[in-house]
Amino acid sequence: MRRIGLKNLDRYLLVFVVAVSLNFLLPRLMPGNPLALIAGVDVGLMTPDERAEIITAVGLDEPLLTQFIDYWKAVLTFDLGFSYKSGRPIVEMITERLPWTLLITVGSLMVSAVIGIVLGGWSAWRRGKKTDLSMLTGMISLQSLPSFWLGMLLISVFAVQLGWFPSFGAETPASSYEGMARVGDILEHAILPIVTLTVLSIPGVYMTMRYSMLEVLGSDFIRTARAKGASERRVLFGHVARNAIAPVVTFLAIRFAFAFGGSVIIETVFSYPGLGRLIFEAVSGRDYPVMQAAFLVFTVAVIVANLVADLLYPVLDPRMRVE
Amino acid sequence: MKKRIAIPILLLCLALVAAACSSDTDDATTTTGGDGGSSDTTTTTEGMTEASVLRAAITGDEDTINPYTYISGFPGWNLLMMQYDSLMQLDANGEPQPWLAETVTTNEDLTVWTLKIVDGVTWHDGEPLTAEDVEFSLEYFMEKATGRFSRDLSSVEDVTSDDTTNEVVITLGATNPSFDLVALADVPIIPEQVWAEIDTPGEATYDISTNVGSGPYMLVEYEAEQFYRFEANPDYFRGAPQVDELVVVVFADDSGALAAIRSGEVDVNFERVSPEQIDLLAGQGGLEIAQGPEFTTQMINFDASKAPFDDLAVRKAMSLAIDAQDIVDTVFLGAATVGSPGWVHPDKAVYNPAVQPEFDPAAANAMLDDAGYADSDGDGVREYDGEPMAFELITNSSDSLRLRIAELTAEMLAEIGMDITVASVETATWEEAVWPGFDINNGRNYDIATWGWSAPIQANTIRVAELVNSDPSIGFLNLTGFSNPDVDTLSAALLTEADEAAFETGIMELQQLIADNVPFVMLAYPDGAYVYNADVYSDYEFIAGQGIVSKLSFLPDSARP
Repeated sequence: MRRIGLKNLDRYLLVFVVAVSLNFLLPRLMPGNPLALIAGVDVGLMTPDERAEIITAVGLDEPLLTQFIDYWKAVLTFDLGFSYKSGRPIVEMITERLPWTLLITVGSLMVSAVIGIVLGGWSAWRRGKKTDLSMLTGMISLQSLPSFWLGMLLISVFAVQLGWFPSFGAETPASSYEGMARVGDILEHAILPIVTLTVLSIPGVYMTMRYSMLEVLGSDFIRTARAKGASERRVLFGHVARNAIAPVVTFLAIRFAFAFGGSVIIETVFSYPGLGRLIFEAVSGRDYPVMQAAFLVFTVAVIVANLVADLLYPVLDPRMRVE
Repeated sequence: MKKRIAIPILLLCLALVAAACSSDTDDATTTTGGDGGSSDTTTTTEGMTEASVLRAAITGDEDTINPYTYISGFPGWNLLMMQYDSLMQLDANGEPQPWLAETVTTNEDLTVWTLKIVDGVTWHDGEPLTAEDVEFSLEYFMEKATGRFSRDLSSVEDVTSDDTTNEVVITLGATNPSFDLVALADVPIIPEQVWAEIDTPGEATYDISTNVGSGPYMLVEYEAEQFYRFEANPDYFRGAPQVDELVVVVFADDSGALAAIRSGEVDVNFERVSPEQIDLLAGQGGLEIAQGPEFTTQMINFDASKAPFDDLAVRKAMSLAIDAQDIVDTVFLGAATVGSPGWVHPDKAVYNPAVQPEFDPAAANAMLDDAGYADSDGDGVREYDGEPMAFELITNSSDSLRLRIAELTAEMLAEIGMDITVASVETATWEEAVWPGFDINNGRNYDIATWGWSAPIQANTIRVAELVNSDPSIGFLNLTGFSNPDVDTLSAALLTEADEAAFETGIMELQQLIADNVPFVMLAYPDGAYVYNADVYSDYEFIAGQGIVSKLSFLPDSARP
C-alpha cells in the first residue's frame, strides 16, 4: 500500500508540472490583449508611449521564456501576484471567493451524493422494473438540461413570480445583518444556486451508483449470500451496497476537486461572487495572473483529490491492497 | 409500462411550459410605459421624487471608482461623476453649463479660458475646494496619464490659479472650440490633500478612502463584484440629493439584473435594456421606461487599406446595398435613429440634413459592374484580382444585436454578389482583430467587422476627425485605414477653427465628404432605454445622448442646470 502511494507520487508530480505549465501557456495562446484591462480607462485614448509604458510595467514585453521562468518561480514561492484589473493581491481575491464557491458546490455535492446514492441503489435493486426504468429516463432527462437555463427558470419561478428567494448575490447588498440573521440571509441566497447545482449533479452520482450496484449484483458472492439464506436487507446493505460504494467515492472525490473550480455558469446566472465568476471575468479580460492563479488552485485540488481517492480505495476495497 | 415511463417526462414538460407562460402573467397595472417605436424621452410627472434608499443594477464590477480605477466609459465614468464634480455640467440638452465654475469666459480665438470657481464649496472631508485644487487637478491629470482625462487636456499649455479671487486661467496651445464640452464637462476635480501624496497613481493600490470628492454622493462601502453603497452628501453645493442612499448592485450579466428589477430586488437598471425588452418590461408592476436618443453608434467597418475595400466603388456599393432602415426596424424594433452616412447624429446642431442614407442595390450592382468586378464563373459571387469576393464578417458574440446586424448585412451584401460568412467570436478576440493592441499603428487583421463607438465621440462632433483622418496622431481611432486627402485637410483644419460660422460650414462640408468617400457604413444610433420602478423613485433626468445615469437624476429640480 505504501509502495503504491509513493510510486503514484512521481506520476502526480509529472502531472502537476505539465498542468501548471499549461496554465501559463493556454491564456497566452488565446487571441486578445490584456492591455484594455490593465490600462482600464479608455485604452484607445492613450498615446503609443503610454501604452508601451504599461506593458513594460507588468513585464509583458519580456520574452515568453523569461515570463515562463518568472511564473514558475512565483508558483514555487506561493506568490500569486496581483490582478491586472484591480491591482489587488490575487491571494486575497481567491480567499475572499473560495468560501462562497465551496458553500454552494460542497452544499450541493452533499445533497446530491445522498439523493444520488439512495436513488441509484434503489434503481439497481429493482433493475428492469418500472421504478428503475422511469427513474433512469428521468435522470437522463435531467442530465440533458442546460445549466444556465435551469438556473434562469428557477429564478423566474421562485424569485420573480413567487418571491420566495432572492434572485442574485450571496448576501443582501449593503445590509447590516449580524450573527444568526446574517447566516439566515446567506442560506436564503444559497438555496437556489444549490438546488440548481444539485439537480444537475444528481444524475452523475445516480448513474455511477446504479452501474456499480448492477455489477456487484451479478457477482457470485451475492448468489452465495442469498444461497446461504441471508435476508434481502442483509444482502443489500451488508454485501451489495458496501461493495458498490468504492467507485462512487472516487467519483465524489473528483467532484469535490471540481468544486474548487466553482461553477462558471451557475455563478454567472445568480451573480454569485465565487471563484467561477472570477475565472469568467479574468478570461473575458485576459487577466493573465488571475487566470493562472485560479487554474493553479483548481489543478492542485484535482491532483490532491485524485491522490486522496487513490489512497482511500484500498481502505474501502481490500482487494486493492498491495502488500 | 411505457405510460409509466412517460409520466416523469410529461410532468417535466408541463412544469417547463407553465414556467414559460407564467412570466407574462404579472399583474399589469395601468402605467404609461415607454413605447418601443418612439424615440421621445418618456418623463413622468407622477411617481416618486424622493427615496431613502435606491438600489440600482450594473453589470460588471467598476473597481473602486476613482479617476484612476474605474473600468468602463459607461456606466463607470457616470458613477465616478456621482462623487466628483466637473467645472461644467451637461444639461438635459447635452450642452455644457457652468457648474463648479460659476462663470466661464474666453478670449476671441478660444485659447484663454477664465473660470470663476463657486465660493464655499467643500470636499467630503470638510476641507474647502479652492481654485488651487482645480489647478492641481488639471496639472495632475496632464502629468500622470489616465488615458481619457489626459487626452481631454492635451491642448492645455498652462494653468494658473488665484485663491483670493477663486479664479483659474487655462491657456491652450491652440484654438479648441469644444474645450468646454471635452474637458471642462468631463474632467473630475480632485482634492490636492488626497492626491498630492500619490506619485504613481497608475500603480498605486486603492481603497475607498481615496474617494474624497465634492459630488452629491460619497462612496462608503464596496464589496468587489457585489455592491457599492453611496451616501448622499447633505452639504452638496447645489442642494442635497433627493435620494439618501444609493446602493449599486453588481450583476454578472444583464438577465440577472432584469430578473432582479422584475422581482423588486432593485429599483433601476443603470444599463440600457435591449429593444425587445422594452415593451415586455413596461407596465409590469410599477416598472417604467425612460427612453431617448443616445450618441452610441452601430456601424460596419472594413479594412479600407487593402483590396478590394481600397476601391471607393466597392465601399460605395456596400453602403448602397445595406438598408439601415431595415436594420433599425428589424434589429432595434424601431428603438434607434437611422445612421447618417456623414457620421453626425440628426439631433446635433451641426447635422447636415442634405446628407441622407441611400439604399439602392440596383445602383450598387451597376457600380460594381462598371468598376470591373464581374462574376465570370457564374457562381453568384463577383471576383476581384482573380479571387472571389468572399469575406468574413466578424462580430462579438456577447452582443446579440450585433450578431443580428451581421446576419442581415451578410444577406444584403449577397444581393450585390459578395459572399459574406459571419464569424461570431469572443469580444477580446474581435477587438484584437479590428484594433490590435488598441493602436492603429499595429494595422488591422480583418476584412469586415461590426463596430460601434461610445457616446463621447459622437457628442463632440469634431472628434469625427479621429475616425477619418489618415495621420495617426489625429486619426488615432481610424480603424478602417481610410485615407482621403480632402477629408484629411478639412478635418485637420476644423480641429482648430475658432470661428463658429466657419466651423459650421466646414463640418457640413465634411459630412458630405465622408458620405461620398465611405470610410465606414453607418447603420444606426440606438436609443437609450432604462427601466425603473416608478413606485420607488421616478424623477430621472434624461440627458440627450447620455441617458439617465448622472447626478442630475438625483438632485432636486431647482439644482439642475
